[in-house]
Amino acid sequence: MRRPEAIDPRILDEAAEWLMQLGAGATEEERRACERWSQRSPEHARAWARAQLLLNKLGGLPSSLAMPALNREPAAGRRAAMAKLAAILALAPASWGIWKVIDAQDWMADCHTAVGEQRVMHLADNSEVTLNTATAFNVHFNSAQRNINLRSGEILIQTAREATASYRPFTVSTTQGRMEALGTRFSVRLEEETTHLAVLEGAVRITPNQNMLQPQVLRAGQQVTFTKNTIGEISEADNAVVAWTEGMLVADRMRLTDFAAELSRYRSGIVRVDPTVAHVRVSGAFPLRDTDKALAMLVSTYEVDAITRLRGHWITLVAR
Amino acid sequence: MSATENALNYEISTLYSNHHGWLQGWLCKKLGNAFDAADLAQDTFIRILSSRDVAAIKEPRAYLTTVAKGLVINWYQRQALERAYLDALALLPEPQAPSAEQRYIILETLYEIDAMLDALPSRVRQVFLLSQIEGLKYEEIAVQIDAALITVKRYMKQAFLHCLAFHE
Repeated sequence: MRRPEAIDPRILDEAAEWLMQLGAGATEEERRACERWSQRSPEHARAWARAQLLLNKLGGLPSSLAMPALNREPAAGRRAAMAKLAAILALAPASWGIWKVIDAQDWMADCHTAVGEQRVMHLADNSEVTLNTATAFNVHFNSAQRNINLRSGEILIQTAREATASYRPFTVSTTQGRMEALGTRFSVRLEEETTHLAVLEGAVRITPNQNMLQPQVLRAGQQVTFTKNTIGEISEADNAVVAWTEGMLVADRMRLTDFAAELSRYRSGIVRVDPTVAHVRVSGAFPLRDTDKALAMLVSTYEVDAITRLRGHWITLVAR
Repeated sequence: MSATENALNYEISTLYSNHHGWLQGWLCKKLGNAFDAADLAQDTFIRILSSRDVAAIKEPRAYLTTVAKGLVINWYQRQALERAYLDALALLPEPQAPSAEQRYIILETLYEIDAMLDALPSRVRQVFLLSQIEGLKYEEIAVQIDAALITVKRYMKQAFLHCLAFHE
C-alpha cells in the first residue's frame, strides 16, 4: 500500500547514497553539496527529512542496550528458535497450574510469577504460599530452618504446624529485614526500599537488618511498613489487604495515583495519571485479573478518561 | 455515511462477532497468555479492516488464521528482542540505568528498528549496526568483518535505502 507521502524511489536512492557518504566522514564541501541536493524540490526535502528522522532514531539509542538487543543471532537461527518456542508454547497450557510440591530437604527453589499472574503453592512442610503478580522468592529449607527469601512482589503465607518433633522457625527475609512467623497467616510485600507486613492470624516478629532496635512483634489485625533501620507506625489491617488473593483490588478512598500504581503491577506497560486528576479518590472493588475491565469501571464511575496508546501498553488517565 | 461504507461496516461487525471469540482462543493457546492474545486478535481485525476487502473473504477462518499467524511470528520476534533488551538492562551498572519511561521509549524504538532491519541479510544488518549503533568507522568495520571497504559502503547504502523505503 503506497501512502500519500510516497517518495520517488530514485530520490530515496540518492538520499541513501548521501547517508552512506556522510557516514564515511564527509568534508565541509560535501556537506554543502548534500544540503543543496536536499533543497532541489519539496520531494527531495521530504526524503531528507525522513533520513534525518532515521538518524535521530538510531542516534538516540544507547549502544550498550541497543547492540545486544538488535544484534541477536541471525534471522534464520532466530526463526528456527521461534518455531521451537512456538511448539513448546503450544504444549504449555496443559501443564499450567500443576504445582510441584517442593519435597526435598535442603532444597533451594526459585519461585516466581509473571506480571498479572497469581498462583498458590505448597512448601515441603505444607505451608501455603500465595504469590501475587511479578513476585519472586527463593526457598531455603533444611533441618534447622524454614526460610523464604522474598526478592520482589508480594506473598501471603499460611504457615503449617510442624509435624516433626523438632521445631524449625519459619522466617521470611527481605533486603530490609527478617520476619519470624509465630504460627500465622500473614502477607509480605516488597517495594524498592521498604517491606510491608500485614498479620491476619497469630503473630510475626520483625527484625530489621541494620537495627539498633529491639525486634517488634506484630499481632493479628496489625500492619506496618519497615526499612532496613526503622519500623513505621503500626496501623489496623483487615482482609482487604489480601483481597488480591481473590483477584480483587479493594480501594477505600484511594488516591488515583496510588490506584494507577496498584493496577500497573498487574499489567505490562505504563499507567500514568495526569496531575489534574491525581487528587481524585477512588473507592470500590476492581478486578485484577482483567485490568482493562478495572479501568473501564473506573472511567464509568469517575470523571476520568483513559487515553490508550501503543496497543494498551501506555495508558494516561485524564480529566473528562 | 455512504451505502458502501455502511455495507462494509456491516460485513466487519459480522466478521468480528462471528470470529473474534475463537480467534482469541486460538491465539491464547498459541501465545499462552490472554493479554497478548486479546491484543493480537484486535490487531488481526485492524489489519483486515484496513485492507477494506472484507466481502471478498470467502473462508474467514482460514484468512483470519493466516493474518494472525503473521502477527504471531512478529510477536515472538518482539519477545526475543524484549528478552535480549532486558538482559542487557540487567547488566547495566545502577547509575546508567534509564528511567522506566526511557526504558519504554527505547524498547519501542528498538521494536521499530528491529522490524525495519529484519528483511536485511544478516551480514548487511551487522555492518549497519556496527556503524550506526556502535559508531565504528567503515574502515574499522571492514577489518572486523574481513571485507573490502567498498563492500562495507555497499552494505551501508543498501541498509539505508531499505530503511528509507521501509514505510512506502
